[in-house]
Amino acid sequence: MKFAKKRATVKQEISTASMPDIVFMLLLFFMVSTTLREVDVFVQYKLPEAEAIEKIENKRLISYIWVGNDGRVQLNDNLVKINEVQDIMYEKRQALPNVIVSLRVDKSSEMGIVTDIQQELRKAFCLRINYSAMLKE
Amino acid sequence: MVKLKKGGIRTAEIPSSSMADIAFLLLLFFLVSTVIDVDTGIGMNLPEYVPIEEQELVPLSKDRLASLLINENGDVLLDKNVIAVPQIKKVLIPRIESKIDLPKNKKLVVSVKTDRKTNYNLYIQAIDQVKGAYADVKEAYAKANWGKDILEISEDQKNELKEKIPIIISIAEPEKIK
Repeated sequence: MKFAKKRATVKQEISTASMPDIVFMLLLFFMVSTTLREVDVFVQYKLPEAEAIEKIENKRLISYIWVGNDGRVQLNDNLVKINEVQDIMYEKRQALPNVIVSLRVDKSSEMGIVTDIQQELRKAFCLRINYSAMLKE
Repeated sequence: MVKLKKGGIRTAEIPSSSMADIAFLLLLFFLVSTVIDVDTGIGMNLPEYVPIEEQELVPLSKDRLASLLINENGDVLLDKNVIAVPQIKKVLIPRIESKIDLPKNKKLVVSVKTDRKTNYNLYIQAIDQVKGAYADVKEAYAKANWGKDILEISEDQKNELKEKIPIIISIAEPEKIK
């Protein structure tokens, strides 16, 4: 009497045909997520809304200053005091003469801090600014 | 003799034809859910910094100047009249239009002055109104003279528009704290 072997008849492979898809997907995801977060923003802010807004065409020229709802100021990667803004921005302007400073200021802030930053920017000759705002629905 | 056989040949494969669909679904999900921040905002040019001792006062005729004052309580004053923020645009449009044909040194100057305690959002709303007034005048001018939308005009026409209707917004020099 002869019995058929059971084990040999079953294939035990996981298909690898979709492996490229998965890899591409992961790659795309990392590409997208890494370009978006260039700097960590430590302050919390909510932008004001406006109607007559324009797009900044040249993203390369932009340098950001954040002002949070607690009045802290962030420039580049770290929090700074207002009187340090001038030196940092002056250096930046030498590297990039027509820099546009985008002010991302929380909408509940007071004008005092904005005026102080503007004065610092004027001293550093960074005269092109942009009040970051969202489009009003 | 009886041959014993247990069922047919079974293959235990995971179907992989739908894998691509799943991958695309995930990709789409990430594409939709990530917020790509667009840099939009109100562009301004700051005046050059001049130390207080060297500042000169340039007389400006009353007719040319539209002074906008915003205090800490949220009251807005346009040329000494109390005004609501959404009204600013309406008041400014005829004033800008009346100066289209005047020479360069007679154009309207909008001066914006705030207190240190003024709310930033209110300031942006006011600036937005001023910018909106200029945008409306420009659009009307383009429509009337060339019959075109402002986005369709040529480079030369753009320059003409810039010359005829320059946006002059002056951010007032902050005063020393009293």
